[in-house]
Amino acid sequence: MRKKCLIFLSIVLTICLGVITFSASSFAKEKSVSYLSLADYTGPIAGLNVPADMGLEDYIKEINAKGGVDGVKIKFIGIDTRYDVARAVSAYKRYRRTKRLLVANSISTGIGKAVARLIEKDRRLQIVPGDGEFQAHLQRTFIWGPAYQDAFAASLDWIMADWKAKGKSGVPVVGFVNWDNPYGREHLRGGKEYAEKLGIKLLPPEFFPPGTLKHDVYLTRLAKAGANYIHAGGVDPTPTNVIRDAYALGLTKKIQMTCGYWGPTALGIGVHAKALEGAVITSFYQRGEDSKKNKIVTDLWKKYRGSMNKFNEVYGMGMSWGMTYVAGLKSALKAVGYDKLKPDDMYNAYQNITGLDKHGIQGVCAYSPTSRRGSLEVKTYRVKNGKIIPITGWRNAPDAVSLHKF
Amino acid sequence: MKIIKIIFLFFIIPAMVLGALACQTLQSLTGPKATLEIAPAEIFLSPALIRKPVTFKGSGFQPKEMITVEMVLPSGLKMKGVKEGEDVGIAVGTSDENGNFTAAMQPTATLNWFFQVGWLPVVKPNFKEARPIPPGVYKINATGLDSDRVATSTLKIIPPPKKK
Repeated sequence: MRKKCLIFLSIVLTICLGVITFSASSFAKEKSVSYLSLADYTGPIAGLNVPADMGLEDYIKEINAKGGVDGVKIKFIGIDTRYDVARAVSAYKRYRRTKRLLVANSISTGIGKAVARLIEKDRRLQIVPGDGEFQAHLQRTFIWGPAYQDAFAASLDWIMADWKAKGKSGVPVVGFVNWDNPYGREHLRGGKEYAEKLGIKLLPPEFFPPGTLKHDVYLTRLAKAGANYIHAGGVDPTPTNVIRDAYALGLTKKIQMTCGYWGPTALGIGVHAKALEGAVITSFYQRGEDSKKNKIVTDLWKKYRGSMNKFNEVYGMGMSWGMTYVAGLKSALKAVGYDKLKPDDMYNAYQNITGLDKHGIQGVCAYSPTSRRGSLEVKTYRVKNGKIIPITGWRNAPDAVSLHKF
Repeated sequence: MKIIKIIFLFFIIPAMVLGALACQTLQSLTGPKATLEIAPAEIFLSPALIRKPVTFKGSGFQPKEMITVEMVLPSGLKMKGVKEGEDVGIAVGTSDENGNFTAAMQPTATLNWFFQVGWLPVVKPNFKEARPIPPGVYKINATGLDSDRVATSTLKIIPPPKKK
């Protein structure tokens, strides 16, 4: 009886050891790290988020197809939050214990702010759109480019230059119209102070609820107050629709419309090209014709998506997220190796990839121990004959964040 | 007999200890019992839920921790943007210094997860594409994101009253 029992136990132990050894060896073969996108694929800003994540996912596919980063493959985890904070927090909870989940990308400022606490606790890093507060209070949240207020300040610089170039005296009067939410107001936290610094008369801002279909009331109020320029916010196609309404009211004949980096893309141009004619966009990533001329971007699109008919320039921005991740991963692997790699190492690595070349998609990476800005440069474009054409070169956006007391 | 003792000492006891350490349920039992109340506990889907949303009130969580409130989707229920087997977050809150919290469903959550609306690109819900979730009793979990404490309750969705 005892002998039989010992034989039985030996068999069970052998099987268990065999299973453990097999599992361990198969894990050892596949070295991987993860990237979590708290995205919006079917919600209100899906029109821009879908092409951006396509760019990222294709870039990762390309890297993996070439063997990964020093043999480490990247897993892309895309979650459709439908732009909802509660869903994003719950999704982060689901994936936060994923081994070697190195970066999370939060698609909205609201999501980014909610997840930030957990990111700090998990000693991870996240990337978010453009809230200047993350630059004002340095933590583990990095923004994609310059802050919203920096880009707005760059628009004000362009407005001053345009005003002078037209030989006008005095200072321009500028109107500001945007969504009535933290994103909409963020531009003025430092942007307002920058306008004062330039001597620009900034009219009381007009805020409208997201979802507003007509913007006549706000535009008319700004026009009556004497606006020479109106800066239209929101995420495309909202700015496109604001300009469409300004055009319908006849305002674009005498008022120059400007936009920030979520201004008209191929999405808006495709529908309201005539109304958008002459509109000016200040962006941290390549737009329109510039983007279509970037071979790295278009080659990848053609390889994975085919015809350029449905191409949107935010695809390049998604590739840029991928480039940053790959550079960070290389740096982190070099520092600690794969076996010891933790999310905190990626956080350290992101601060050491200053100057990373983004192949023309956006300015060089500006992440550093003292900077959470993805890049410092912006470029200004104008809609001309239904195309988005550059009218300036790349230039550094002013640091408007530092002008505001957060 | 000796073999049984050896097995007991070297395999079963360590396994029980390891199991107990890993068991979150047991961990949560070491703290106060977390509770969750839903107000109202019974609803029917109507636009009034945007103005007067479903709210959650809980206790027994760790002080100052984030709480995620999730709806457990019954198998077979398809929800836009959610993979089968996933719970969907419907509210988020933070506990006070006594471990109590309240959280309300934000309009986006009510629209996305109760009405399952489509969205127009101008950030406006499109009710033409809405696929409201079916009436039923839904399990709701509130989880402390530091303590892993879980409180559970149910939300009953009833059919809307018939128009007279």
